[in-house]
Amino acid sequence: MRWRIFGARLRELFRLRRIDRELGEELETHLSLLEDEYVRRGLGRAEARRAARLDLGGLDQTKELVRDRRGFRPMETLAHDVRYAIRLLAKSPGFTIAAVVTLALGIGANAAIFSLVDAVMLRPLPYPEPQRLVSIWEVGYKSGARSVVAPANYADYAQRARSFSAMAAFQPAGKNLTGDGEPERLAAEEVTASYFQTLGVMPAIGRPFAPDENRDGQDDVAVISHGLWQRRFGGDMGILARKVRLDNRVYRVIGVMPEGFQAPSDARGSDPVDVLAPLVVPPEVLTNRQDHEVDVIGRLAPGVSLETARAEMTAISESLAREFPTTADTRSALAPLGADQARLVRPLLLVLLGAVALVLVLACANVASLLVVRSISRQREIAIRFALGATRRRVMSELVTQSLVLAFGGAAVGLVIALWTKDTLVSFAPASLPHLGRVALDARVLTFTTCLATLTGVVFGILPAWQVSRTRPTEVLRTTDRSVIGGWAIKSRQGLMVIEIALSTLLLIGAGLMLRSLIVLNRVPLGFEPDGVLAANIALPPSRYETPQSKLEFFENLAARLAAVPGVQSVAFANRLPLRGAWSSGFSVEPLAGQPETKPQVVVGFQSVSPGYFEVLRMRRLRGRLLDPADRTGAMPVAVVSEAFGRMVLGGAEPIGRRLHRGPNMPWITIVGVVADVRRYGGLSPVEPQVYLSAAQTEVYPLPLSELAVRAEREPVALAPAIKAAVWAIDGNQPVVNIRTLDETLSLRLRERQFQTLLFTLFAALALALAIVGVYGVVAYAVSQRTAEIGLRMALGASAARILRWILAQSLTFVATGAAIGLSAAVWLSRYVRALLFEISPTDITTYAAAAFVLMTAALLASYLAARRAVKADYSCFHKAL
Amino acid sequence: MDKTDVLQGTLALMILKTLDTLGPQHGYGIARRLEQMSGDMLRLNQGTLYPALVKLEQQGWIRARWGASENNRRAKFYSLTPRGHKQLTAETERWTRVSAVVERVLKPAGT
Repeated sequence: MRWRIFGARLRELFRLRRIDRELGEELETHLSLLEDEYVRRGLGRAEARRAARLDLGGLDQTKELVRDRRGFRPMETLAHDVRYAIRLLAKSPGFTIAAVVTLALGIGANAAIFSLVDAVMLRPLPYPEPQRLVSIWEVGYKSGARSVVAPANYADYAQRARSFSAMAAFQPAGKNLTGDGEPERLAAEEVTASYFQTLGVMPAIGRPFAPDENRDGQDDVAVISHGLWQRRFGGDMGILARKVRLDNRVYRVIGVMPEGFQAPSDARGSDPVDVLAPLVVPPEVLTNRQDHEVDVIGRLAPGVSLETARAEMTAISESLAREFPTTADTRSALAPLGADQARLVRPLLLVLLGAVALVLVLACANVASLLVVRSISRQREIAIRFALGATRRRVMSELVTQSLVLAFGGAAVGLVIALWTKDTLVSFAPASLPHLGRVALDARVLTFTTCLATLTGVVFGILPAWQVSRTRPTEVLRTTDRSVIGGWAIKSRQGLMVIEIALSTLLLIGAGLMLRSLIVLNRVPLGFEPDGVLAANIALPPSRYETPQSKLEFFENLAARLAAVPGVQSVAFANRLPLRGAWSSGFSVEPLAGQPETKPQVVVGFQSVSPGYFEVLRMRRLRGRLLDPADRTGAMPVAVVSEAFGRMVLGGAEPIGRRLHRGPNMPWITIVGVVADVRRYGGLSPVEPQVYLSAAQTEVYPLPLSELAVRAEREPVALAPAIKAAVWAIDGNQPVVNIRTLDETLSLRLRERQFQTLLFTLFAALALALAIVGVYGVVAYAVSQRTAEIGLRMALGASAARILRWILAQSLTFVATGAAIGLSAAVWLSRYVRALLFEISPTDITTYAAAAFVLMTAALLASYLAARRAVKADYSCFHKAL
Repeated sequence: MDKTDVLQGTLALMILKTLDTLGPQHGYGIARRLEQMSGDMLRLNQGTLYPALVKLEQQGWIRARWGASENNRRAKFYSLTPRGHKQLTAETERWTRVSAVVERVLKPAGT
């Protein structure tokens, strides 16, 4: 029954004024009726009225009693306070705008960053009961390195583990879609039949795979994405009757996934998966536990905890290690799927959240500082209210209401800022952040912002409110001297100023460290020149190009055609290009005569390249010769190695003339030249030894050729249509994908660093601006409160310069204190940014000194400007007074 | 009788009963009726009556309509709702039961 009254009161809340008016009328009628009754009994009008009043009790008292029953008194008080606060704030627009804008910047930045963090790692995954999904991988017993799962192990995990209601394996397998229009390269995934059950998502149309479709010969079925169905097949309802040609093989479409379905691998930022096909594991792979090939996910059985599952999987790994002592060299590991997807970006996001929170604290300090001054001017009014019997609680709640109104005003403007900047933020965000597509200003962000605004309002409002509410009326009302309370205001504002300086020092240092890292990173020699090179991926399907020779012919034909295109300087092809991929393999080096074979097998990079490769990438030849067109099948197998090969594989010996092979029955390859080292994945990646084989010697190591690179005379992107035309002139069914300049790929690789640096610099700039405004305000106020003192000193003969020095020396004390606190905090916090830096120590002395210098210079400049205004003021009236 | 002597629940019951017997009544009418019925033992001042009426209205047992009073002024006329009727029946029953028990306890033993 209680909620009924609650509901009624809630409804009344919106008509309180009318209800009140009506109550007055009703009581009047009642009174007049009683009055009439007394008149009937023989009393005079006036007397009757008096008697009626006496009978009925005080009218206002009754009204109050009824009002207590209606609506909600605390809420009315709040509404009253809010209206009062808005009226007061509207009276001083300067202060209000300054406070709201400051808070809006702080809260808006927090809302924007939170929306990003929420989408990337807080929001549950888009599957039913996502908390039960885990990612499973393997860790080398010796190396400790993380790898995907060996299919042989997966089969045992899936069979033996009882902690999971389902487990699935999958691996990316891009496929060329041909027929009906332009050939297209599709992101495809080969999955076990259990994939659908594990994720808890079934096709919206059709059926999932049956277990026996994971067998060779039965696997010509496909489930396609809603997107592909709409884009390529126009949403044809008869899709299940259709066949598609993928990599030159005919598949039956047996299902369409629901709209909005995301494959777990979509979180890697690659193109969303459009085709699911059955995973078929060849028998030889099923016996090889060192062949790590598949991603594995599991769905925990109901009620099974992560720890239980982990313990069981560890036990299974241990028994596998006993059963297959020579081959089982990894143990299993697992973690919640969502956390695992975000594991690489978690440090970045946490540091960003921390930084943006500091900006907000700074904004709070600024507004608190403004409020302190403001509260001084209200001191007299509040003293009078105390004298008239207002309670301290009432006055304080009114003052806090005022700061909450400011905070919510700031939050509203901040949300608008966040809304504007959201898309920019996402477009700058590195693709390594999973689930970027879900970044939105939704109810979760709104809730966060509301909580943040409340917290903010209380944080910056409580100090001034507390101080003012301690006002002793007699003290304030007795004196006309404002400095009694002004002194406290100066002290607390100087304290806030120290906090502001400390916080902005911290952020400046963070930004400085990241900027320096980025500069160092951009200066790292890559060993090749990415600018001016356009690259493309041409994945020739094995079903159509069965032999290595046929692939070679395709690429040689293509290279010849492109070389004739105007604007093309040189052309190269390879199995992989730097920044876009790599291949590595084990091999043995022929020992020098009379020396024993030391290292039987070493793993280094192996790339199969055309003779133009070194020219297109402008790789420096150091010794010997490069590959040339004569290095074909039939000629002596040759290789060019990188400098690191000699250093890291041969112990510093000269590689030229040495021979290597990949196995006992493989041909010997003679090293004929040495080129400079490359960092294949950009400045962040290490130098690894490389062996460059001649692509035309297909019998040596038939690595599948798939990458084309063209060095342009002018604008490389302009050559894209020419590349497509040349490919389609040879094979009209061959898709050309991932056409990008190497420059663009390089910047994508550095995107994460650029992103964090950009944001940190932005935050630091904001912090610096806020701190400077804060310092200016504090100094200006302190000077204005000391007008009398300054005037006196000047009258006694102190020069303006001397006064200026005196003021500057004072503010320098606080600025230096703040900077010192900031520097020590930075040392303490530095371990959290270590992972985000590159070859710069998190306690890099240059950066710290520079940050402190910038800050102190800026703060002193602000103090100087504020002080100069004060000193220039006219003191002549003061002279007269003396 | 002082207002504190009138238990809130009892007053509510009496108001409901009054409206049930007389039909729609304004506040003055209700007060007068209660005075008469109690033989002038119960004098309600407005501070007791009107908060009780508000509570009954919020609970949905009575509803108010504007009308003209005997001296031609605007007055709120309260009447019983169907739910209020049910409440009255239930409360009366409970009151009878409770008062019977109380009476039996208070009666000297053996008489």
